Amino acid sequence: MIRVRGSCLALLGTALLLASGCAAGAYSAMSVGGPQPIREVLSNGAVLIVREHRASDVVAAQLWMRMGGRDEAPDELGLAHYIEHMIFKGTPTRPPGSIDRMIEGFGGTSNAFTSYDTTHYDFVVPAEHLRATVELLADLAANASFPPDEIESEKKVVFEEMNLVEDDPDKFLLRRLYEVAYAPHPYGRPILGTREFIERLRRDQLLAFYRKHFVPKNMVVVVVGGVNPAEVRSVVAETFGRIAPGPSLRRDPPPPPAIDRGRRADVVRPEKQAYLGLAWKAAPIGNADIYSVDLLTYILGDSPSSRLNQEVRERLRLVSAIEAGYGAWEKAGLVTVNARLDPDNAGKVEAAILDVIRKVREAGVTEAERQRAIITAESSYAFDIETAEGLAKSYGQAETTWTLEDEIAYLGRLRQITGEQIQAAARKYFGDDDYARVRFVPEGTQK
Amino acid sequence: MTPRSCRPAVLGLVGLLATGVLAAPSNAAGQMRWERLDNGLTVIVRENAVAPVVAVSLLVRMGTRWEQPATAGTSNFLHAVMVKGTAKRSGGELAEAVAALGGKISATGEVDYSEIRASSLTRFWRDLLGLVAELALEPKLLPDDVDREREWLLSRLQKRRDNAPSRAFDEFFAALYGSHPYALPVLGTSESLARIDHAALVAAYRAGYRPNRMVLAVSGQVAASEVLAEARRLFGGIAPGGASTDPPIPAPVTSAKRVEVEMPAQQAQILAGSLAPPLGHPDHAAVKVLSTILGGGMAGRLFAELRDRKGLAYTATSYYDPVREPGALVLYLGTAPENAQKAEAALLAEIERIRREPVSAEELARAKGYLLGRYAMDRRTNERLAWYLAFYDIEGQARDFPDRYRRAVLAVSVADVLRVARQYLDPLTTLVVRAR
Repeated sequence: MIRVRGSCLALLGTALLLASGCAAGAYSAMSVGGPQPIREVLSNGAVLIVREHRASDVVAAQLWMRMGGRDEAPDELGLAHYIEHMIFKGTPTRPPGSIDRMIEGFGGTSNAFTSYDTTHYDFVVPAEHLRATVELLADLAANASFPPDEIESEKKVVFEEMNLVEDDPDKFLLRRLYEVAYAPHPYGRPILGTREFIERLRRDQLLAFYRKHFVPKNMVVVVVGGVNPAEVRSVVAETFGRIAPGPSLRRDPPPPPAIDRGRRADVVRPEKQAYLGLAWKAAPIGNADIYSVDLLTYILGDSPSSRLNQEVRERLRLVSAIEAGYGAWEKAGLVTVNARLDPDNAGKVEAAILDVIRKVREAGVTEAERQRAIITAESSYAFDIETAEGLAKSYGQAETTWTLEDEIAYLGRLRQITGEQIQAAARKYFGDDDYARVRFVPEGTQK
Repeated sequence: MTPRSCRPAVLGLVGLLATGVLAAPSNAAGQMRWERLDNGLTVIVRENAVAPVVAVSLLVRMGTRWEQPATAGTSNFLHAVMVKGTAKRSGGELAEAVAALGGKISATGEVDYSEIRASSLTRFWRDLLGLVAELALEPKLLPDDVDREREWLLSRLQKRRDNAPSRAFDEFFAALYGSHPYALPVLGTSESLARIDHAALVAAYRAGYRPNRMVLAVSGQVAASEVLAEARRLFGGIAPGGASTDPPIPAPVTSAKRVEVEMPAQQAQILAGSLAPPLGHPDHAAVKVLSTILGGGMAGRLFAELRDRKGLAYTATSYYDPVREPGALVLYLGTAPENAQKAEAALLAEIERIRREPVSAEELARAKGYLLGRYAMDRRTNERLAWYLAFYDIEGQARDFPDRYRRAVLAVSVADVLRVARQYLDPLTTLVVRAR
């Protein structure tokens, strides 16, 4: 979710049929079939992306919303995620529990995800259940009923989810690092929200948020699998095509703040090991630098042979684990480096990480490192698109935070990036003073 | 894959997925090729154009089924040592070499077979197949690695013993299968692991890795003829070895029994079950449907009745995994210690009910939909496709097994379910792990 790779990488060798502006129902002129994704905009503004993918007899049907944590007001943190949970609780024609049972009865699976820029609702079912599943998605998008009893009982589930994040030092470190690096920008907020707000959450707040954001212009329907695209288009026109249009009231967030040495936090934690997280501001998803930053992140900290692993873990033996990640969002990007270490080594580890990055700034990377990073990126993408749901996810992510053309061109552009460009990205984004830092300090060891 | 597997499988999630059996996608375009090499090794290739990846599954007839109490865990032990290095490179170098292909490689011992599995970007398929052959045919098997891996396996064994669900399944299979090797844990026991030495692993390797005991399956964006040619080049030179017919294993004899174990844990574990038909048996599909009606997902009777309606369990599911000799139909509950007694009684009542009353037509239809849906869902990746191809072959099933299985599931009637419930769910073995 946090990383550009896997979600935004491109598929090579596929042509894209752009059909924006097509009215729902006016499909006869479209070319049908073949392995290309077809994109079209229905008359009410909803977007459909469909691709035939005959890997198996299943179909992935996903609804991507141009709405996420960043669209919440500061005093309603957690609404987008709460809606993600509540949507599965029913509609006027589907009582609580019936949706899960229906999908399960097909032998299928359901899932949903909330991030800062988007939320998405995913089903994978045997292809013969395409129609029933798209009908279900459209019903959820337009008619979720938010049963009052279910709103209350779901609070326990969400609190449990918050506990899980807080109990997991790796996840909580990343959460805190985003907060320290971005605050008060929306990308620094907790997606799950605050306990105080969720405890008092009322049905009218959920309904108002749902009605404001669940308009066709914010909806992207992605269908990938062993299906006939013409049939998908007719089912989507009969369902999503009939949702009443409405204006999108989405606003751009403010630009992210600059990072300086003032952005620091130490947190006392129950674990015996210490944790260190550093974060540098990097390119957002639409920026031309994402390719070089992505390769640089692989080279720094993706595998046992990466620079940080070889130097800080293997040679200096200062950490038990270290890795780097790149979170490229629509409006801002962040590269993070996380390490697990002995509490006495925190200062040495921070200096060693900065040293590794300084060497890249000064001397660049080797051709072998560049090629290896490209292979890792390709492999990660290729295994992601092996399944219908993985391919659907890459399309949905691209349509809502980027463009399908960029997605399809991604790997090709990545391969063109030179060692000099990777070094230039290191110089541009990774300074000695412009990073945020979070340290988890074991109880009883703080000085 | 099964609850017995030595992989760190999460109970309740993995088992269900693994019970799905292959559905041939009627519309998948790719070609399929089978070839028996002159030395007896079987090669199967499936062309699958959907993504630029390739997966390899090499199965060997070697696993718990051929082990004794004194040698339990040998197959898995051997594979843990094999990945530590080949004649050409160390374990670390092997991992690096496969990572440079954008791939991965691993090896493991299971109940009816052992497996080397690997995958990578398609354009490196030749290198990947080469690494699989190197690992299978030229493992280094260093004595030092044997000692190091033994320590690691013993720690895993302890971890498994400390985990209440894993411990419960191990004890259940021991009680159900008695003197049949399926009673043995895949990981072995602390006694057997202490006894298995370097010489024993080398001997097990020589006995197992013979071409007529090996099936190689490849699935991905490849040309079948090229893969077959490369497989002949890499594996065709292995000497055939002697005939290796496996001596028959006496069938387990069961009688009704109840075993109780106590251990420190938050939850009580309750398992009840019985011997069930093997993969190739005419009743296999009907027992799959029976198992699904009882424990398949949220609409299964155990979940709906014992968890949703009566609040007597957190986990409520069933397992019936395909194996060659008698299988096991296992009904499983995880529950709060104070509910254990009531939960056990309610579980036995559900078993009585399904042996007494015919199921409804709706339940039957739902179970078939669930079963066949899972069956399609479990074969979306080349890794699973390759495994299924090799697995059916090594289990002695015909190439059209998936189609026959699907038809057999659709043909199961209400009367069939009642008949197999009466026939197989008696005598029952019950295993309770009490939390203290």
